[in-house]
Amino acid sequence: MNMHSTPQRTQAETALIDAFGERLSLLPGDGAVMLKRDDAIEAIKHGLPTRRIESWHYTDLRRLLASVPAFDPTAAAKALAPIVEGSAVLAVLNGVSSAKFPAIEGVIVHRLSEKLTDGSIAPGLDPYGSDDAIGALNTAFVADGYFVDIADGAALEKPIELQNLQAGGQVHVRFPVRVGAGAKAAIVERQAGEGASLGSSVSQLVLGEGAEVTWLIVQEQAETATHLAQFKAHLGKNSKLTVFFMNAGGKLVRQEIVVRTTGEGADFKLRGINLLAGDTHTDVTMVLDHAVPHTTSTEVIRNVVTGKARGIFQGRINVHQYAQKTNAKMACNTLLLSDDGEFSTKPELEIFADDVVCGHGATVTEIDHNHLFYLMARGIDEKTARGLLVKAFVAEVIEELDDETIVEALETRLDDWFVAHG
Amino acid sequence: MPAVQDTIDRVRKIDVDQYKYGFQTEIAVDKAPKGLSEDIIRFISAKKDEPSWMLEWRLEAYRRWLTLEEPTWARVNYPKIDFQDIYYYAAPKSTPGPTSLSDVDPEILKVYEKLGIPLREQEILAGVQKTDASDLEEPSDNVYKSGRVAVDAVFDSVSVVTTFKKELAQAGVIFCSISEAIREHPELVQKYLGSVVPTSDNFYATLNSAVFTDGSFVFVPKGVRCPMELSTYFRMNEKNTGQFERTLIIAEEGAYVSYLEGCTAPQRDENQLHAAVVELVALDDAEIKYSTVQNWYPGDAEGKGGIYNFVTKRGDCRGDRSKISWTQVETGSAITWKYPSCILRGDDSSGEFYSIAVSNGYQQVDSGTKMIHLGKNTSSRIISKGIAAGFSQNTYRGQVSAHRKATNARNFTNCDSLLIGDQCGAHTVPYMEAKNSTAQFEHEATTSKISEDQKFYVMQRGIPEEEAIALIVNGFVKDVIQQLPMEFAVEAQKLIGISLEGSVG
Repeated sequence: MNMHSTPQRTQAETALIDAFGERLSLLPGDGAVMLKRDDAIEAIKHGLPTRRIESWHYTDLRRLLASVPAFDPTAAAKALAPIVEGSAVLAVLNGVSSAKFPAIEGVIVHRLSEKLTDGSIAPGLDPYGSDDAIGALNTAFVADGYFVDIADGAALEKPIELQNLQAGGQVHVRFPVRVGAGAKAAIVERQAGEGASLGSSVSQLVLGEGAEVTWLIVQEQAETATHLAQFKAHLGKNSKLTVFFMNAGGKLVRQEIVVRTTGEGADFKLRGINLLAGDTHTDVTMVLDHAVPHTTSTEVIRNVVTGKARGIFQGRINVHQYAQKTNAKMACNTLLLSDDGEFSTKPELEIFADDVVCGHGATVTEIDHNHLFYLMARGIDEKTARGLLVKAFVAEVIEELDDETIVEALETRLDDWFVAHG
Repeated sequence: MPAVQDTIDRVRKIDVDQYKYGFQTEIAVDKAPKGLSEDIIRFISAKKDEPSWMLEWRLEAYRRWLTLEEPTWARVNYPKIDFQDIYYYAAPKSTPGPTSLSDVDPEILKVYEKLGIPLREQEILAGVQKTDASDLEEPSDNVYKSGRVAVDAVFDSVSVVTTFKKELAQAGVIFCSISEAIREHPELVQKYLGSVVPTSDNFYATLNSAVFTDGSFVFVPKGVRCPMELSTYFRMNEKNTGQFERTLIIAEEGAYVSYLEGCTAPQRDENQLHAAVVELVALDDAEIKYSTVQNWYPGDAEGKGGIYNFVTKRGDCRGDRSKISWTQVETGSAITWKYPSCILRGDDSSGEFYSIAVSNGYQQVDSGTKMIHLGKNTSSRIISKGIAAGFSQNTYRGQVSAHRKATNARNFTNCDSLLIGDQCGAHTVPYMEAKNSTAQFEHEATTSKISEDQKFYVMQRGIPEEEAIALIVNGFVKDVIQQLPMEFAVEAQKLIGISLEGSVG
């Protein structure tokens, strides 16, 4: 045997592979689920992605993931009050779901550990591509989460809030959600916690014909946490999905948004804000496939970069050959407020159909001096004026959401962030 | 006309020179054996009568090249290139070409006719060989018709040089082939060669550094505004040869030069490799304008044959207030892999990139630019227009970055794509990287097809569909065409029309 044939593994890679060996007996599911886990850990054995992998160009996970914390069964996390009052809360506390969850009319909920044990969700565990490191990591280690099935025609009055709360160590959760035909729902995905944790979270959403969903991702991890998250969605005929994300925490964050229109007339909206501070790294990567004709999408991303933060937005719109009459627009605007901060953006269009209207725009700039002058000329001091302008810049995106209670709840969180970060 | 006589005389002299340097002694040594090795590089260097430092430079590049892997990140597909199955050195005219225009592929002639190229010039472009001595004596006012018909790019460019050499020399401008520059101006070449595109830069640039056979050299001294446009025509000769030319342009403080590069002479052949390197250096207050009209053979309607165009072009705005402007019209090549870039090192320097990339048939284009902002108050502008028709794939790939100390960096990027037909693809892959809060970057991109309304409007005035499309497309690319020098602009417009032929219906 040639000793040089195996590539040198990083400490983190070794730790992950060792952890898999140790955890194996504790992970729910056998047979089909175990086969998926084996495949996934094989992918990790080939090494974490580096910047040479195009989709990880700005987030060299192999280099950035310096260490991996051990699983910590003693860590305890507490459920949080929901962002929108009256929401049905499904909390995963330090990687473990609760057997006691509120009954929601028209909704069937299962603990994911049960679904893993009976193997019924095995087919959904495949990563979506060879560069899907988050999918592989999650499939290998996922132990719990919730499976949510919203019945056809159900119209939920209050949001469902999925909470994934860490208290340290490693946590790998998954939330498969099916929304039936004509159903209407608002779902909040809350990612928060304390301590130097490493977490992966995968949400899988399938929208039936004519379903309408607003999905909010609110990420407020500790500034020591590594948060690797993925949101995947399939949009059925005439369905409408609005995804809103807010990244306001974490040390090393990668949020992937992978959406595919599978039915004609589907509409996808993505609105997001990245509030970046400290010495952190936040990467939002979107891959949107317009796979059928007559689908529409708009994406608006706003970023505020302060301190030594590094921000990334990669957005790729693929228009397949038969997806004629696609209308897709993407915009990514960044306020770079610090000379030590940086923001990189890669808005891609890949278009194989001719009868389409697609466009993207991206800007990086600092606060407009004319705007600042306008406010200061009215007696507002510079700091306040800057604050107002920055807030207005991101609040614009929030205000686009239809639901007033959600808008208010998010604006409160926004205020909190501005108070905490000057 | 004395000028013509001067041309003829000078070209004759060059012929003699060539003989002296053993370019065309006998057919057996005209071409190095196939493949690449240190011996081949020594052979090329010896053929060119190069000083030893040049040989060392080439060998170092070659050794580095051996350690590199072919890049695969571009959105292009092609069978693996066997680098040992290529002739790296082939002097022109080693095999008999066509002897009259009637021997030339009528397809090519049709193209020339449409471009409005005069008959005699067509002969030269098509590589018709003159065997009749009386032909050579014939006086003419055509600069191309300078005695023995030269069929290789460098020869052509030399003939242009000779025409104006006196005038250029008076101004202090050096314009010659790079081989000549290595011999005549080694101090300049040594100072600047590889200073923008180092030998270690990338796979194809490193290969070029090892084996480049010719190219142009331009030096515009301090304070001189080059009195005329400089131009080079490139063409490929032999089957299975690679073409590796190297261009180096230096504009000293306050100098200005406009350089045109034309690859408008398609030679119908098999897949061929073209891996060129172009380096531009602009010192304080200097300006370089570099325009390209590239129409290498794109392959036939089934996508067979054509040129693999893997080119590294980079300009270094080394001095304060310097400016480099790239304008390109890309209509040819089976595969284009080309990113003319600007390094904005000097304070207040600026870079521009104007591009039209037209792809039809099975062409694959992956082209764009890089604007690297390093100095203070630097600005850049990118206007890219991609037109994809047939089964082609057309990708814009560009990078704009502002480094920590690049305060007030400013960029505007606009890349629009037009799709003609539902079998082609248009892609946009921009990278924007800002590390300075005073940077101001704007990027916009759109993709759409020609609207039925526009087409109807033009066609109802009695203009056939194909012409209507060419007209609309020319409107679409107007912003870029305007950047081209006059004579190229006319040619480029016609070229776009030609390359889109057959894309309708």
